[in-house]
Amino acid sequence: MSADHLRHSVNQYLEELPQPVQIRLYESPATCLAIYRLLPQLAKFFMMSMVFNENFILLRDLDRWVKSNGKLQFQEAIKSLKSLHLITPKKNENGALMIGLNSTFRESFKNALTGGQVNNSFGVVIESDSIAMDILNEYSSSKWETILHFMVGTPMASIPSANVLNLLKNSRLMEETESTAEFKITNEGFQFLLQEANAQIWTLLLQYLKMAESFQMDPVDILNFIFMLGALEVGKAYSTKELSDTQQNMLKDMRDYGLVFQKNADAQVFYPTNLAIMLTSDNKNIHRTASNALDSVVQKNKEGAATESAGTMGDDLDDVALQGQPIQDGALIVETNFKLYSYSNSPLQIAILSLFVHLKSRFANMVTGQITRESIRTALTNGITAEQIIAYLETHAHPQMRRLAEENLEKKLELDPNTKDTLQILPPTVVDQIRLWQLELDRVICYDGSLYSDFENSTEFNLLSKYAQDIGVLLWKDDKKRKFFVSKEGNSQVLDYAKRKLNKK
Amino acid sequence: MVLPYTLQNTSSLEMARARRGMLLQCDPSIRALIVQIDAQHNDIILEELDDTHLLVDPSKVEFIKHELNRLLSKNIYNPMEEEEEQ
Repeated sequence: MSADHLRHSVNQYLEELPQPVQIRLYESPATCLAIYRLLPQLAKFFMMSMVFNENFILLRDLDRWVKSNGKLQFQEAIKSLKSLHLITPKKNENGALMIGLNSTFRESFKNALTGGQVNNSFGVVIESDSIAMDILNEYSSSKWETILHFMVGTPMASIPSANVLNLLKNSRLMEETESTAEFKITNEGFQFLLQEANAQIWTLLLQYLKMAESFQMDPVDILNFIFMLGALEVGKAYSTKELSDTQQNMLKDMRDYGLVFQKNADAQVFYPTNLAIMLTSDNKNIHRTASNALDSVVQKNKEGAATESAGTMGDDLDDVALQGQPIQDGALIVETNFKLYSYSNSPLQIAILSLFVHLKSRFANMVTGQITRESIRTALTNGITAEQIIAYLETHAHPQMRRLAEENLEKKLELDPNTKDTLQILPPTVVDQIRLWQLELDRVICYDGSLYSDFENSTEFNLLSKYAQDIGVLLWKDDKKRKFFVSKEGNSQVLDYAKRKLNKK
Repeated sequence: MVLPYTLQNTSSLEMARARRGMLLQCDPSIRALIVQIDAQHNDIILEELDDTHLLVDPSKVEFIKHELNRLLSKNIYNPMEEEEEQ
């Protein structure tokens, strides 16, 4: 789901670029390869069939390859190819629609595949230099986690650079409170934390692109660099000499995000990190985010044939546990008395929990805490919704909770096979209470408007109240007391109507 | 709060009038609390409409919400406090 979403957002950005910019992008083989990887599966297949075929081919022929139940995917594939201007349509003498591959793209893509003239677009390796993997990993994760920690508000010695802060603010993942100039996580920011790492990096980079455009930086240069990073090899050293000025400037920002490592600010070489490699790969085996659990769950999901939508996730957790793999980091147990135990060592997991749980003690492999009215209200006022909290708890529920819920459901089904109860992983009291706490924030609903009263007879009352109701501005009425309330927006209309109707008499 | 646009055009409608205000919709328990707040501070409720509706002074809405929060917080059981006492 999130991988699809990621593809969508990157592709959307590329599709919205003006055609000349797209064509310039296609001059870089590395970029072509990366764009190819981002295409829908069927589109990839069509590309492959066309790349070594110089002639235009009939669209009908492509259509014949697709079964009737795949027409939707076919349309999507063609649409994405068209909007990226990867294919050019033309009509043959019989009026049938033919398509051919964009010639710039074809050349670059061929070069990328065959290793022909790649023009340094895959970076220039400096063989004599290398770096230990663990230094790179440590560097990238410390940079990236600093950003994530900053977002969840962990008190830290180091805060991200001003550039990163600016980016977070511009992408509206965080807000700056005017009075204290402190940064506060937003609803979108919380959503962001739940995404997987490569979706997060892309979110930030897309925002970076948008900001860069306002600094008159060339998006082609930036995109080429980003896509190049994704095609490099971790652990190797690459020369900075071949980079354009824009790209040299970018290196500094990429260092801040932990995508590349440089030994010092004006070093002649840079080293891509595993975060950079994730940009164009589907590999999500990097456990750096709050949502690594979600990834494994989603992947396992496809194997399981579970039925209840709410239940499927936990099913797969069971699988994970049964296969002898370690239980996901951050698996948590919520008791009916609102106490919460999370088996987590990751400071990030704990920090996310602390957004809506009153944490009490930390042990070697777990933290305990309590969900309280205050803790939930703090989260709610920060813009996190009750549903988000519940979803987070549910996806991180410990396999034991899951098993208990399944047993309970089975018992219910034995008693009443037609029961409509669904699997409840979390204690219903807790879920309901979290929702109630959200409702509690809005105990009164206010409407601005006018109260009409003191009607002499019911005819006039009925006439006006019916009119107000018909135009949809009536908010409240009492027939006995002959009073009704009209919203502010509709008031003038009702008044006009009243004057018109009642004057005629 | 009677606005200038009273509908005094026909003799039969001499008394009919429109009055600006804020319609508050809430459950009866909250209504009772607001009535209590009004008893202490006055000039909040313009008219009591029914069990779940009140007409109030638009400028006092924020005050009402604030007072409600304060009153409701009194009745909250906080498990943390109890534990700290132990």
